[in-house]
Amino acid sequence: MKKSMTDYELIEKFVKGEQSCFETLIQRHKNKVFAYISLYIRDQALAEDLFQDTFLKVIQSVKSGKYYDNGKFISWVMRIAHNLIIDHFRRVKQLNTVSNDDYESDLFNSRKLADANIEDHLIKRQIQKDIRKLISELPDDQREVVILRHYSGLSFKEIADITDVSINTALGRMRYALINMRKMMEEKKISLTFN
Amino acid sequence: MALNSTPFLSYHEIQVDSIDIYDDAYGFYQEFNDVMKLLEQVRPVPGKRLTKRLIERVRQMN
Repeated sequence: MKKSMTDYELIEKFVKGEQSCFETLIQRHKNKVFAYISLYIRDQALAEDLFQDTFLKVIQSVKSGKYYDNGKFISWVMRIAHNLIIDHFRRVKQLNTVSNDDYESDLFNSRKLADANIEDHLIKRQIQKDIRKLISELPDDQREVVILRHYSGLSFKEIADITDVSINTALGRMRYALINMRKMMEEKKISLTFN
Repeated sequence: MALNSTPFLSYHEIQVDSIDIYDDAYGFYQEFNDVMKLLEQVRPVPGKRLTKRLIERVRQMN
């Protein structure tokens, strides 16, 4: 029954004391939030910390009455994640200095990999690594739009709100990001060698 | 009117909830189909241990 409730209904019940309702919200939105954070900031340990901090901050805000329903709970959560990322980089001032070379693929959906043979598995891992590198080489503003749109499923209106730019700017960044990625794909000869 | 005519849809019957009109208008998915397919190959998800740890922390907060 909880699965069919709206985000706001779950929040209301959580505020009234139904603990498990927030867990349903986590299960519902965790992939979008994690994809955004982990693809944006590159470092896995840091991504995991910020992923948890995002939801803990959501709880604090909900409990202090700072969330008002406008039907866009996930968009609000992503803004919190965005602000935490910005805060982090402001604090440490080491943007673009963290390597993701040792990033392992246990984050990837391993269920799909289970049936593949070892060779396919290795090829797939290499391609995934290449793609992550490709994404990480985009300028920050372009990378963020691609992740929020493609991996977190936000609309351009929501992305524009979160990143404090106009919709046209968000669309422009997306276009440049895709053009850049295609260019890098050609330069690095990355292509789909499996399906 | 012939019985096999195509019925008209009224405006409110058109489902647009999951469609981003800007994306649709700019046609990113058509124009950059190759890049999109490549991006599809990566699907970062939080590990079970991480999710469990988060839920434990949430329980401790309450």
